[in-house]
Amino acid sequence: MNKIKNNKLRKIVSSQQFIAGLALVVLYLFFYSMSVPFRSFSTLTSIFDAAYYLGFLAIGVTFVIATGGIDLSLGTGMITSAIIGGLLYQNYGLPVWISMIVTLLVGLLLGFTNGFLVAKLKIAPFIATLGTQMLMLGLGSIVSKIQTVNFPLRSSEQGYYKSLFRTNSNFPTGIFLLLGLAFIFYLVLNKSKTGRYILAIGSNEEATRLSGINTVKRKWVAYIISGFFVGLAGIAYSATYTSITPGLGTGIETNAIAGAIIGGTSMAGGIASIPGTIIGVFIMVILQTGLPFIGLQPHYQTFITGLVIIAAVYIDVFKQGKE
Amino acid sequence: MKKIVSRLTAALTSAVILASCGTTTVTTGGQASPDNTTGGSTTPLKIEVIAKGFTQQFWTAVKNGSQQAADEYNVEMNFTGPANETAIQEQANMLANAINKDPDAIALASLDTVSQVDLLNQAKQKGIPIIGFDSGVPDAPEGSVLATAATDNKAAAKIAGEKIFEAVQSKIAAASAENPVRVAVLSQEVNSQSISERTEGFIESITEKSKALANVGDAIAVVGNDKYNTGDASKAVVIIQVQVPADATDSNVQSSALALLNMENLVGVFSSNETASKGLLNANESLGGVLGSAEDKIVAAGFDSGTLQKEAVKNGTFIGSVTQDPITIGYSAVELAVKVARGEAVSDFAVPAAWYNAENIDSAEIAPLLYD
Repeated sequence: MNKIKNNKLRKIVSSQQFIAGLALVVLYLFFYSMSVPFRSFSTLTSIFDAAYYLGFLAIGVTFVIATGGIDLSLGTGMITSAIIGGLLYQNYGLPVWISMIVTLLVGLLLGFTNGFLVAKLKIAPFIATLGTQMLMLGLGSIVSKIQTVNFPLRSSEQGYYKSLFRTNSNFPTGIFLLLGLAFIFYLVLNKSKTGRYILAIGSNEEATRLSGINTVKRKWVAYIISGFFVGLAGIAYSATYTSITPGLGTGIETNAIAGAIIGGTSMAGGIASIPGTIIGVFIMVILQTGLPFIGLQPHYQTFITGLVIIAAVYIDVFKQGKE
Repeated sequence: MKKIVSRLTAALTSAVILASCGTTTVTTGGQASPDNTTGGSTTPLKIEVIAKGFTQQFWTAVKNGSQQAADEYNVEMNFTGPANETAIQEQANMLANAINKDPDAIALASLDTVSQVDLLNQAKQKGIPIIGFDSGVPDAPEGSVLATAATDNKAAAKIAGEKIFEAVQSKIAAASAENPVRVAVLSQEVNSQSISERTEGFIESITEKSKALANVGDAIAVVGNDKYNTGDASKAVVIIQVQVPADATDSNVQSSALALLNMENLVGVFSSNETASKGLLNANESLGGVLGSAEDKIVAAGFDSGTLQKEAVKNGTFIGSVTQDPITIGYSAVELAVKVARGEAVSDFAVPAAWYNAENIDSAEIAPLLYD
């Protein structure tokens, strides 16, 4: 009895989520001890600001990586879905809630397209989503005529949508959205049939198909989930940053993917964790927010972020090698 | 059904590809029509204008200025530009095309001189004069670029430096080595020429002005970035903080600005472009508003415009901002091109920047220079 308990404990302690979680706590405490202003509530809300869009993207891409795939269209997809939504408000005077719904729909459509290319047409995910990454980058510039698109300011009549993520009194409402959706999609990944099949595809696609599971459909669903979160990230981004400049977005996907991997999701597929992904995202975001507080210059910030990413993932590799 | 879907996708894909192939080319000017003979000459001059892109309304305003000059000087103008300001290769192709058309002159807002050296030499050999605009063309082969019409970014940033200095002068005058004050510039990056010049211009103006105060003298230090760091911060009365984010993404700029606004003894901040201004304002919002002109607030000024920045100037969060004059940049580029095409002597033209604040933001002089 005691042995079983011990084994369980050992399993938890040696899991990548636990290690990443520990790293997160250590990082936070490090910055907390190094800088007095870092301890303030406003810094925490800023950390959350940066975590919303990245967290959404990372939750979505966790499903895709779980299938053994990759989604490179996250960043430009997010920017362009926000641009298309924002144009409806800015140029056609439609209410901002319509903008947000359209932003979400564009994300979904992107996910649907990615799924079609990868699951149905069997194009390699790296190439298919590199293609849609560029499509979205170009599309954003085409529809906006390469002009910055503005969502309503907080002070304007339509500014209420910003309170979805941060109220006028600086309360970070968005954290409940992020964690709530993370919990729901944790259940989807780990407790639903779809989630289990997605993980099975990542472990061994051929075996999964031979056991009678429609792998095309399940894979497709993984990309649609990713697209849904691209749309949500678009909403979070526009609520946080107000103005969206076309031509941006490439590079954001690597941060989201890094967040998922740091949290213990395997690039090879078959192993994935939503709580781990959230922890990974917060590691990225706390580094980004904390490093300027200890007065580090930008080139050192980039350097240290690189070190932490390698270290965080290496611990997992090292541990697996030992086992 | 399957077939229909795949055909539809194929059709859509090709439509998108085709649509995106149309480059943003606007051909204007009289098509050598006989009734378009203002200015005495019967054949209009052919001038190719190559911009850096159409990003932001800045380039639209540049184009409007160019158009004005083209109309006045009876020029057949072809205004082109790549999709964005990183499309170096695309712009090189545009320059090659322009040279092949054998125009009377070319106005070029070069994204990257180094990659265009061969083309510039080629133009020189063919005897096509080139005018630079928007930014200088520093490494151009001798005799290829004959003059440049660009904002003097250093001088422009000095305007902001002087305004901020005026607003915080009493605080600087009350400072000492034990109780120093910090004045900061938030810059998106340190590599591009224009933003580097703004950063330098700001540092210079704060240094010059502070030096004249009896309590400061030489006790000035620049900290925060290896490229600019000088002096000893532990002995300084005025610390000039150069704050640069790890990269130019909105969240990184905001983090960097947040750390800056939390620094001790900070009395003034200059954000040197639209991205930096936006990050500063987002950080200010998350802190519940620490910027303003009241005694206990941090004085701030920006550069360029944009929705958030304009609102900040209007409601007093910023004491004001510096704007370039894109209309004059576009106008003088074509004007200089006309002059070189006619064989007249030309010289560089520093397009002056303008200061705007809550009072003049809607005026007839300022409003056309600003964008959302």
